[in-house]
Amino acid sequence: MARDKIYLEEEFPSPLLQLWHNFKVTPVVMIGFSCFIFLTILALFAPFITPYTSVENHLDFLLLPPAWHEDGNVSFLLGTDNLGRDMLSRLMHGTSLTFGLSFVVVLISLGIGVVIGSVSALTSGIKSSFLNHFLDVILSIPSLLLAIVIVAILGPGLSNTLWAIIIVLIPQFVHITRNVVTQEFRKDYVLASRLDGASSFRILYHSVFPNILEKLISQATLAQSAAILDIAALGFLGLGAQIPMAEWGAMLKNGIDLFYIAPWTVYLPGLAILFAVVATNLVGEGMRHALKISKEA
Amino acid sequence: MLIFTLRRLNLFIFTMFLLTLLSFSLSFLFPGEQLINISGQVNATPKQLMVLAEQYQTDNNIAQQYIAYISHLFQGDLGISMASQLSISNEIMSFLPATIELTLVALFIAMIFGIPIGFIAAIKHRKATDNIILTVSMLGYSIPVFWLGLLAILVFSIQLGWLPSAGQLSLVFEIEHVTGIQFIDILLSDSPYKWQAFQDASAHIFLPACVIALAPATIFVRLARTAMMDVLDSQYIRAAKAKGLSFRQIIYHHAIRNAMVHVIRDVGLQFANLVTIAMVTEVIFSWPGIGRWLIESIFQRDHTSIQGGLLALSSFIFIVHIVIDFIYAALNPLARESRNGA
Repeated sequence: MARDKIYLEEEFPSPLLQLWHNFKVTPVVMIGFSCFIFLTILALFAPFITPYTSVENHLDFLLLPPAWHEDGNVSFLLGTDNLGRDMLSRLMHGTSLTFGLSFVVVLISLGIGVVIGSVSALTSGIKSSFLNHFLDVILSIPSLLLAIVIVAILGPGLSNTLWAIIIVLIPQFVHITRNVVTQEFRKDYVLASRLDGASSFRILYHSVFPNILEKLISQATLAQSAAILDIAALGFLGLGAQIPMAEWGAMLKNGIDLFYIAPWTVYLPGLAILFAVVATNLVGEGMRHALKISKEA
Repeated sequence: MLIFTLRRLNLFIFTMFLLTLLSFSLSFLFPGEQLINISGQVNATPKQLMVLAEQYQTDNNIAQQYIAYISHLFQGDLGISMASQLSISNEIMSFLPATIELTLVALFIAMIFGIPIGFIAAIKHRKATDNIILTVSMLGYSIPVFWLGLLAILVFSIQLGWLPSAGQLSLVFEIEHVTGIQFIDILLSDSPYKWQAFQDASAHIFLPACVIALAPATIFVRLARTAMMDVLDSQYIRAAKAKGLSFRQIIYHHAIRNAMVHVIRDVGLQFANLVTIAMVTEVIFSWPGIGRWLIESIFQRDHTSIQGGLLALSSFIFIVHIVIDFIYAALNPLARESRNGA
């Protein structure tokens, strides 16, 4: 038997890899993670795999119940809504609107938040104290209320909603980046590279970022579940995605009037939102748990 | 305590400054003319506009405009609604109490259920009970509140018919509007059907309050669980065990009190979240609160109302935040001054 490694070598996985090792231990978390991957794939490829487009009307099949019902039709697996649009196709298209866009929104605000947060961590004095107070105030205003006000300025519509949610999510990323960067900068390895003559920016980019990435990702998953709920809530209130769009919250709103005669038009979008949020939260929880384990170890 | 109070006061003034600045700048950001946005006088004649311009000092620089706006605020003048031409401060006075009532009842429900369940989870740490509680709480804060509200109406109001689905009080009862908080108004009124009205109001508030309470309750479960686990891990609990106290004694006399203090600190932070949920729930349950009024104002492009509503709602949240901070400081000497231990 050939041994690849003759010497006993100690391995030091990168922080992200370490996180993954701790992350994949819990089975429930892995289920959540698979659901998350499934939703991501669905969000990317929904337009190619849905049986119908999201706005295609089938006027002979209005308010058809799901296929397992005795009046159901197997060509419309999850039934149709009041305009004869296939629920399954709409839900799948909705994945890219509600889930996919929430992902994009979080990425953008993460980027902006990290930049502002690290700049503010490197400055001190009145400027940073003002920023701290300012962030506290912004964080104390409910996120949805702030989003609603921003939508009121920009006017209703999906793209405006997204901008609003990006702005609303930025403060928490600034806050966490600021805290963790300040923490890391007190550590010895930063001092070591500073003694080597590295500039603050270089330290930040090469030494600190790889070490705080995991915390940022964990915060980002939590932010994403909030973003999904906010996009859906604004859609439900009629401020977000407008009428023909298959956004889950807007679909739910569309179904309210039919709640009693066609309950599936309300159940299904709600379940879809619940599924997406639970999957995201599971990933976030697993991430936090893994962070805790690697901290204790 | 004095330093603590001064620091909070400082924070309060700073926050109010920022909030008024935000609401003042909204009048520029909203589409349309700034003077009309800030005053709400849509149908003003040119002559009235001249007077308004004088009042709000639109010809002067921005700082003076802001000071003019603040002085209007101090007189309780938030302008008039662009949609209904009613005074906004009166509107807020009639809608805000309903929201205060609903959110406080919901907060109460969330706390009396969430905190004990969290304690139980911590005591049964890593057992089946703990896992079940954690799973349910995960579901609880993942449910979109508008969906939950609709399901609650379908099940409890339509199918079972136990509870009313909309409004604050049945129209049969004539209760004078004194404070706006329904329960106090009912108790103050001299109606012969006081008790029936009270029951009816309780039935109306129960369903929306429970819907609002679910998500914060699950967060309290988690907070209480973490706090209790920290406390049970601490040295003084070990000392109490070494002295031979029974588990029950330790929990009731030492652990619960110390864990409660930590939970209460975070209640203030959760309150903002709770108000957000309440705004959506008010729309579903047709609750005559400020959240529903604010969302209607957006549809009507009523910019003056949005400014006023934002200011009122965020001040309310912030005041609750500070009150809870004070309760926390009163309960926990460590938070007041660092010399008290640590």
